[in-house]
Amino acid sequence: ILMLSLALGTMITITSNHWVTAWAGLEINTLAIIPLISKSHHPRAIEAATKYFLTQATASALMLFSSMTNAWSSGQWDITQLTNPPSCLLLTAAIAIKLGLTPFHFWFPEVLQGSSLTTALLLSTAMKFPPTTILLLTSHSLNPTLLSTMAIMSIALGGWMGLNQTQTRKILAFSSISHLGWMTIIITYNPKLTLLTFYLYSLMTTSIFLSMNSTNTLKLSTLMTSWTKAPMLNTTLMLTLLSLAGLPPLTGFLPKWLIIQELTKQEMTTTATIISMLSLLGLFFYLRLTYCSTITLPPNSSNKMKQWSIKKPVNTLTPTL
Amino acid sequence: MALAATLLHNAYFCGRCCRHKALQPLLGPLLSDSLSKSYSSYRRPGSQPEKKTTWQNVDLSFKKSIEVLKTQLGMLKKETEDHLAGPEGQSLTHYMLEQTRVVWEFRSQEDLNKWVISSDVEIGGKSEVYLKLGRNNQTALLYGTLNTEVPRDGETKYSGYCSMRAKPLVGSFARKKYYDWSNFNSLYLRVRGDGRPWMVNIYTDPYFSHQKDDLYNYFMFTRGGPYWEEIKIPFSKFFLSSRGRVQDDQHPIWLDKISTVGFTIGDKVNGPFQLEIDFIGLLNDRAHTEEFAYETYEKNPPL
Repeated sequence: ILMLSLALGTMITITSNHWVTAWAGLEINTLAIIPLISKSHHPRAIEAATKYFLTQATASALMLFSSMTNAWSSGQWDITQLTNPPSCLLLTAAIAIKLGLTPFHFWFPEVLQGSSLTTALLLSTAMKFPPTTILLLTSHSLNPTLLSTMAIMSIALGGWMGLNQTQTRKILAFSSISHLGWMTIIITYNPKLTLLTFYLYSLMTTSIFLSMNSTNTLKLSTLMTSWTKAPMLNTTLMLTLLSLAGLPPLTGFLPKWLIIQELTKQEMTTTATIISMLSLLGLFFYLRLTYCSTITLPPNSSNKMKQWSIKKPVNTLTPTL
Repeated sequence: MALAATLLHNAYFCGRCCRHKALQPLLGPLLSDSLSKSYSSYRRPGSQPEKKTTWQNVDLSFKKSIEVLKTQLGMLKKETEDHLAGPEGQSLTHYMLEQTRVVWEFRSQEDLNKWVISSDVEIGGKSEVYLKLGRNNQTALLYGTLNTEVPRDGETKYSGYCSMRAKPLVGSFARKKYYDWSNFNSLYLRVRGDGRPWMVNIYTDPYFSHQKDDLYNYFMFTRGGPYWEEIKIPFSKFFLSSRGRVQDDQHPIWLDKISTVGFTIGDKVNGPFQLEIDFIGLLNDRAHTEEFAYETYEKNPPL
């Protein structure tokens, strides 16, 4: 039922052209994923669910408020006709909270850490899709300065905070934040690139999460011993991680390249240089992850009984995309 | 014994929250012209009446605030350097290879200042507890007398507990910092007790206040001989309790955000007690494969 509700909510938001349906779809999504986050009833999982609910509810309320002020000033509720400047600003802020852009990112790592790996996957890919569609629909009337500032800060912060994390879910949270920065920086100029980045990012993150799920790696030390369980999965995991980082021959480089090209066309070369430099920080911790998982052989073997049995059939095909 | 200990813990937490209540003038809150209080004014027999209100304690000198700002900025700089170096301030290879770590050692007075001792004096009991450095400044000695005489306030049923608890880590600008012990799976204690059973409590400071009484406990049975004992308690054995009541829905402790560790004695035996601690450390026991010692299946499954 919960999965169906998630799909329903996403569909409602994507196909909406009235603010209320968009808001309704987002609320359905939020409500459907709350029980998924707190499924294990661990105190930390419940804390994560509470944090998620509070932030998303605030964001939905802000969005509704912005649409109401827009309707009050322009007399119509069409999503593509967002004319009132304060509404635009409020909407940008609301979507930023929903997505987890800096400075509204504080909930994201904690919520991801509190949920199980599959729920974390849903949170970082599926739950980002409706707000991104809303951004796309309103992309001509959003506030570019605010968006660019938030995007640059996200890339910076995603890279900086991810530097010495030891929990894999938090690392993936920070990588998600920095990828969101890349997505939002180009949205006012070329929304199709945002969509492309989003799709590629979802594919890569899905494969990483699923690989981590089959070996049940929740922290760095478990990642280091995963080479014994499924060596093929380990090599593909390394390639996917490097692809997330954006290294040239792999797919992950494509969105970055196109975004930088588009930014230079728009005479924003300084921005392009800044974000490329900042993504180096992210590259550092991706490299460290790959270093941990594939390149070094740790002096120990895992002592967790559960790790030896692979729960799901290993998906070696998805990471090769 | 476990039941008594958990009930005593209940009283302990009650006492902790009552420590800050001020003496209420006899006229009542509506008629008094001092600052109004939003909590009740009942003062437990053991807590002292507050002579100075909190706002009178503030020091507004400029020079002192500059010094405080300098220290905080220094701490922030150090934290940034640690962040760059790697997890927990050490390099990644150190993190990958470490199997043991000493977290608290007792070699000087500053090490002792990192701990707080308390007893049932807060609720009006008569136990005494003291903490001092042991012989040659090599150990910490927690000693005192347990007195199970119940304070006569009409609502306490049991009494007699003493405890020692580590102060939580504070980062720059008074932010909370946590320990990350995810690399390890047992607590390693080198102690010399007197045969009495102790309870080890681990507090993972939660974000929301409705979980602030959550505590993970386990027991430490000391031998009492003149020889040192090395007690290893795996983290999988810690059970979850809240305000002293053991929870039905048990969960393993998550080691990535630990705030404090404490020791409590409350075994209903009147008399002196003594615990000498050399150090408290962590161990990654490779032979320990247990994930969680208690059943996590659903206890009342829907039919």
